[in-house]
Amino acid sequence: MEPEIHFFIGKGGVGKSTTSAIASVHYSNTAQNTLLVSMDPAHNQRDIFGMDFSEKPKQVTETLAVKEVDTDFWIEKYLKETQEHIKKSYTYQSAFNLQNYFNVLQFSPGIEEYALLMAFEDIIHRFEDRDIIVFDMAPTALTLKFLSLPLITLVWLKELLKLRQQIYEKKEIVSKIKIGKKGIEQDKVKAKLETLIDNYEHLRDHLTATNTKINLVMNVDKLSFSEAVRIKTKLSDISMHIDRVIINKLKDGESIDAITTEFSDQKIRSFPLSENDLSGLEGINAYIDSNMGIFKEG
Amino acid sequence: MLTSIKWLKNRIVGFWKIADEVARYKAVETIEYELGELDNIFGILVLGAFIGIPSPPIQITMVLLPDMEKEFKLILEKVQTAHDPLGDLFSVLGID
Repeated sequence: MEPEIHFFIGKGGVGKSTTSAIASVHYSNTAQNTLLVSMDPAHNQRDIFGMDFSEKPKQVTETLAVKEVDTDFWIEKYLKETQEHIKKSYTYQSAFNLQNYFNVLQFSPGIEEYALLMAFEDIIHRFEDRDIIVFDMAPTALTLKFLSLPLITLVWLKELLKLRQQIYEKKEIVSKIKIGKKGIEQDKVKAKLETLIDNYEHLRDHLTATNTKINLVMNVDKLSFSEAVRIKTKLSDISMHIDRVIINKLKDGESIDAITTEFSDQKIRSFPLSENDLSGLEGINAYIDSNMGIFKEG
Repeated sequence: MLTSIKWLKNRIVGFWKIADEVARYKAVETIEYELGELDNIFGILVLGAFIGIPSPPIQITMVLLPDMEKEFKLILEKVQTAHDPLGDLFSVLGID
């Protein structure tokens, strides 16, 4: 069975890292093999758990491992592989001319969210044995770009494939009239486009699958609420649905009526403001123990 | 006599082959021009980033780039001849 995927998204500073860490510890305490992945370049999980993490998952308990996604590692790996392919298929002069372009490509717009997507694809294939994979996401802008990337890429790929198909058919006509044979060399670019479409459809299906849950973390303040509403609209534009709203740092007596009205289709979880510093596994477990009801949903 | 007939037959076949070849090339001339233009559009769409035109998400360009050396050279050449697009079109249509 494929693991359940949980994304923790929301405005910067609302507590995505803290709530995702609490949820991960809770899942692992209930004997579910859990992997917590930090996709936020700020990597707060190392401060919360008080230990260093890297691309290689580190076991925090028997059933909980934490991993940090290093976007620079993925960008470098990806550019190196592309460069190797170019060296193999291009003439020396063309490959040499492209060298300078690769030096600046790591700063190209869009490369960061693509690095996250590569890491995501790698994680869902490599950690199929886990019960739950929790993703602590970057703030809204980068996360929305990441989540919409497969869909946008598919729009481009399908249009490019249509054009390539047209080119291929015309080449066939020319070849048939000129030399009387219909068979022409297989179009490598067309084949690659078809493979890419398969890959991205698979990724899009993963992101919109029923076992993929989006947890929107927010606070009760006005700014956080407004951004949460915008996130909901943007996600529905790309056919993604928020599964659960987590109201974090909730103080005694604070009203959540506006939130429950706006998010009436979502499950609601309230995480009260912690009086103590939430750090280390003990700190998180102490918080869970003293707030037993937080995983009940309204 | 037989040799003369054979010679004549070979000449006719040879002439027919050349005429056929010329007709076939003429027939596809316009399609080939259209094909060239479609190739240009595809090249510009995928590799636009190299000549300052908005391009698809960078990963598409990067994946296709290793198999598009011909198109890559073509768009760089096109940038150099871009000041005279009508000249290019007239030469294809045979207008002096």
